[in-house]
Amino acid sequence: MTDSVKQSKPLQCKVVSTGAWGGYFESYTALQQLFAGGELPEKKQKGPKPAIIPANERRRAPLPVRLAVESSWQAAQKAEVTPDALTCVFVSGFGDTDLTDYMCKVLASDNKELSPTKFHNSVHNAAAGYWTISTDTMRAANSVAGYQESVSLTLFEAMVQCEYEDSPMLVTFYDAPVSEILKPLLPNDEAFAFSLVLYPASSDLPGTLLTANVNSNDTCDWPELACSNDYIQGLYRTNPSARVLCLAESLEQPTGASRALTLPLSAGSTLSLTFS
Amino acid sequence: MNIEVIDYDSCSAAGNNLAELRQSLTRYKSGLIRNCLPGSDIDTWIGKVSAADDINDLGEWQSRNNALAALGYEQGTLRNTTSALMAKYGAARIGLIMGSSTSSIDRTETAYTDLAEDGGLKPDFRQSRVHNPHAPSLFMAHLTGIKGPSLTINTACSSSAKVFVTAARWLEYGVVDAVLVGGVDTLCLSVLHGFNSLQLLSPNPCKPFDHFRDGINLGEASGFAVLQRGQESTNGTGIKLTGYGESSDAHHMSHPHPDGLGARKSMTQALTRGALEPDAIDYINLHGTSSRANDLIEGSLIADLFPKTTRSSSTKAWMGHTLGAAGITEAIITLDTLQTDLIPGSMNLDTLDEALDFTIDADNQHKRCEHVMTNSFGFGGNNCTLLFSREA
Repeated sequence: MTDSVKQSKPLQCKVVSTGAWGGYFESYTALQQLFAGGELPEKKQKGPKPAIIPANERRRAPLPVRLAVESSWQAAQKAEVTPDALTCVFVSGFGDTDLTDYMCKVLASDNKELSPTKFHNSVHNAAAGYWTISTDTMRAANSVAGYQESVSLTLFEAMVQCEYEDSPMLVTFYDAPVSEILKPLLPNDEAFAFSLVLYPASSDLPGTLLTANVNSNDTCDWPELACSNDYIQGLYRTNPSARVLCLAESLEQPTGASRALTLPLSAGSTLSLTFS
Repeated sequence: MNIEVIDYDSCSAAGNNLAELRQSLTRYKSGLIRNCLPGSDIDTWIGKVSAADDINDLGEWQSRNNALAALGYEQGTLRNTTSALMAKYGAARIGLIMGSSTSSIDRTETAYTDLAEDGGLKPDFRQSRVHNPHAPSLFMAHLTGIKGPSLTINTACSSSAKVFVTAARWLEYGVVDAVLVGGVDTLCLSVLHGFNSLQLLSPNPCKPFDHFRDGINLGEASGFAVLQRGQESTNGTGIKLTGYGESSDAHHMSHPHPDGLGARKSMTQALTRGALEPDAIDYINLHGTSSRANDLIEGSLIADLFPKTTRSSSTKAWMGHTLGAAGITEAIITLDTLQTDLIPGSMNLDTLDEALDFTIDADNQHKRCEHVMTNSFGFGGNNCTLLFSREA
């Protein structure tokens, strides 16, 4: 057994497009303006209403689903790709705690009758389900969880799949505010979603080349954000999916600037990223 | 693809471990009982693992789901196999992938029945690493000491089939030297009353593919397998994961695609990846929930895709539908046929659905199989097929 840091062979893919949604930004462009020091809009939005979900389904779609589908749709449109060409991975660190709260309250009461729609919406893969149904995507759709390491684990998982299956990928990170009773444990008050469309590195499409290495026998903390905006900093600290903001910031720096990041991946490994 | 199954074990109502499961299968003994879950008066049958009731010493990790995972991991040689691999390669070079649909919502349910005066959680229930969907992997990483990447897959009833697929990719890519994959799901009020709200539960022991089937029975289970790249293993089973398929129905959150398009894609992908024709498949362990819709659609697909020489069965009448643990429970039953030469029958099948015509029988059959398959289909239209083969 060796304790020296062991690096895997690099994973590579191309970031072709992005999508983003938060209480104070409705697109990646608006998020970039906040990164650049822009003022927060006066009004905070509670949640998006993604047009791609058919109206009758949209009314029943819970907030985490709408967050995920909105940023996914933005990224797919920006990539000018039909969504059904994209294999997808969805991640939420805390899941749909509003539905957990609803079910646990009903089940703790005398009348344990649950709403069938709320029950099927409570599965962690609800976002993947609504996305594939709304866009007629029959490709593989994964739905994963990684608690505080949700972003690094899911990026790693999606990059392995992109390279090994030679398939373009949609990867979407989303977390909604946590319900009251669970909030002291999972303290997130912000709605956030972010999506990446990834293509195999050999693709002709324009984009940023992302290289990742898994370093075994290594540990680190989440890197500091360059952006000093209080709202963005709070989002980054408390919303497990918003840890992707460190990557979002690095994506937009001018070419040629040093762009490297190392993220915690597990109790004994880290994920280092370089952008070119 | 060259992925070998090194070790595996299973814990369900049909047996606390693989040895007991084999006995239940051989003796044709079901583990289903009448619903006795505290707080639930639903008239149905369940597959309960009573030994999990006694595991109450997990402290800050306590939940029924974690108790069932801990019980499952103690079975057979799983701990020895995993520890030996950690010693050989280092804990950071071993991956962990768990599949679950309930994670530890059983614990959240219990916490809500006993809230503090201010409406918040009482101290014993303030378990941030338990009340979240990644709980099964967080707990198993803690229990095993695995320090490599650990991910939880939550795609409802296909969750712990997909763990094999993700593990295969991690191994092929070379980022880990072995992966412990697992699945765990617990009987709790959420699933019983949830499936009841969808009018899917049967008041009788389930009868998959029977003309007179009237719904599903829920169960709980945990199961684990250890996987390695084939060329590197020294003490494997000689059983290889030779194919897989993953697809989406793009149809409805809780109804399968009426023509089974997603399921068809998943099965044909697995055959293509394994470079096998349908007639090479000796046995298919079907998703076969005993719901009217699933069995009709899945059975029609089997009739369409496979010849009569391929034998199929659903084993859900042995331990119930174990949801997020069903994928690995049935993967283990499927690949174990390559060790035991026993194809389990489709228990409780009396009269095959008149609309169906494929090879399925209630009785067990002795046969040396070469290639075997298993289907898992989940809510959200999430499908996964696994293909296992005897080493050539």
